Amino acid sequence: MKRTVDVSLPIGPVHPVFKEPCRIKCETRGEYVLNAEIELGYVKKGIERIMRGRPWQEVMFLAERVCGICSVIHNMVFIEGVELISDISLTDRAAYLRVIVNELDRIQSHLLANYSYCYTIEHETLAMYLLNLRETAMDALERLTGARVTCSYIIPGGVRFDLSEADARWLQETVDTIDSELTRFVTMFKTGSLIALRSKEVGIFTREEAIESHAVGPTARASGLTHDCRLDHPTYRRLDFTPVVYTEGDNYARIMVRFDEVFQSTALIRECLDRLELGKIRGGGEVIAGTSRWAGEAPRGELTYQITTDEYGRVMNIGIRTPSIMNIEACAHYMIKGVLSAADVTSTYISSDPCIACNER
Amino acid sequence: MSRLQDLKNTVRSKSIHVCYVNVGSCNGCDIEILACLAPRYDIEQYGIYVHNNPREADVLLITGAFSPQWEDKLMELWEKIPEPKVAIAIGNCPISGCVFNREGSYVDPPVRKHIPIGAEVPGCPPRPTEILQAVLSLAPVVFKDYEGGNE
Repeated sequence: MKRTVDVSLPIGPVHPVFKEPCRIKCETRGEYVLNAEIELGYVKKGIERIMRGRPWQEVMFLAERVCGICSVIHNMVFIEGVELISDISLTDRAAYLRVIVNELDRIQSHLLANYSYCYTIEHETLAMYLLNLRETAMDALERLTGARVTCSYIIPGGVRFDLSEADARWLQETVDTIDSELTRFVTMFKTGSLIALRSKEVGIFTREEAIESHAVGPTARASGLTHDCRLDHPTYRRLDFTPVVYTEGDNYARIMVRFDEVFQSTALIRECLDRLELGKIRGGGEVIAGTSRWAGEAPRGELTYQITTDEYGRVMNIGIRTPSIMNIEACAHYMIKGVLSAADVTSTYISSDPCIACNER
Repeated sequence: MSRLQDLKNTVRSKSIHVCYVNVGSCNGCDIEILACLAPRYDIEQYGIYVHNNPREADVLLITGAFSPQWEDKLMELWEKIPEPKVAIAIGNCPISGCVFNREGSYVDPPVRKHIPIGAEVPGCPPRPTEILQAVLSLAPVVFKDYEGGNE
């Protein structure tokens, strides 16, 4: 059958709802979206190319600047990859501190993603509440690591700064604040009739489609896949952790997965604080030659680093696979296709939490 | 100075529309610009309104180390902004390229080679308060007596 396309609708690269430049090209019949394509390449910097041949001390900072939103996990996965090559062991205290900082980073990233979604569906009140709550998480990150973004807290064999007794108590209170405030906002989100109209049964992404398009992270978990790299992580295995899974696969489920993961993160931080015993935060070690492949769960899904080092500790070859690339493709091929209006294109796109800087590097 | 001009100066310093564009940053500076919107910093109490439409903007915030895709697009974007206008470079990247300015990378800093920049806020990334301060201190100076040819 010959398809009639009324309008070819380009959205971007600079658009009010986009935090980063990218272009969505939609073929529409009336308002109905027949087909969508996402054009990337506006922030390509060539980070992997400049990483090659540099000592790990430099690559560590470059790895963190692959993505500003989820900088802690990039730091963590790269350092854990280097530790795997060189067989550097980790003290218990440092391992738990890493989890605490990583979970704080996940909290702020998820809150930012949900803020963007609420802002896109024009629910500015809830968006501002979430953005304000995110500042509380940023305060905690700053107090622990010394910087709001790109804090380079994790180093081979441990972490940079210790957590004092007073800070631990303060962190406990902060986490309680986040929990109690967010409970209120999630109730607002669940009961808002406007939100349900704009979110439920919009951008459907079934389990079969998720498997086919290799979706990862909250996007996949909202469609019923249970995959989460934290299940394979040695420190998380010691903690009480089960992935959050929804089966609806619409925009509402994707946002709710993120909300529930924030509650899960606060529970993990509490558990880590309980288990934290006094001890060293840094061990010794030397980076040697070798190759490793290590994956971790970024806020957006599975993040993989493949690292080859030489005997002087230089990174000779590095490959990074970031989660957003699969989610963006899944978004263009399955979620956006078939939405009923052009306004839902942007909200569906934002609900998959794309990170352009991450996947172009 | 006429009374009308005084009125225009007052209005312009209390109503600043901001557009931000990412020309190859790592997102760190972008989320700090977004954090300015949060009720804690409350950018709108100063009359600054952030949205991403260059045709309504007075101030253009630029983040990132200038990737080659933007070579023609950034100038086009800059020309779409109505006069009087000013561009502010946020973060180390548009100033020097920061960590990305190495042999073999695709970036082409500084951004001031490509469009005129009014102010630069260094930092990797700068704090939201610093971004706010830069916009607030620069915009009234640039927009004052614009009709008088005092650019």
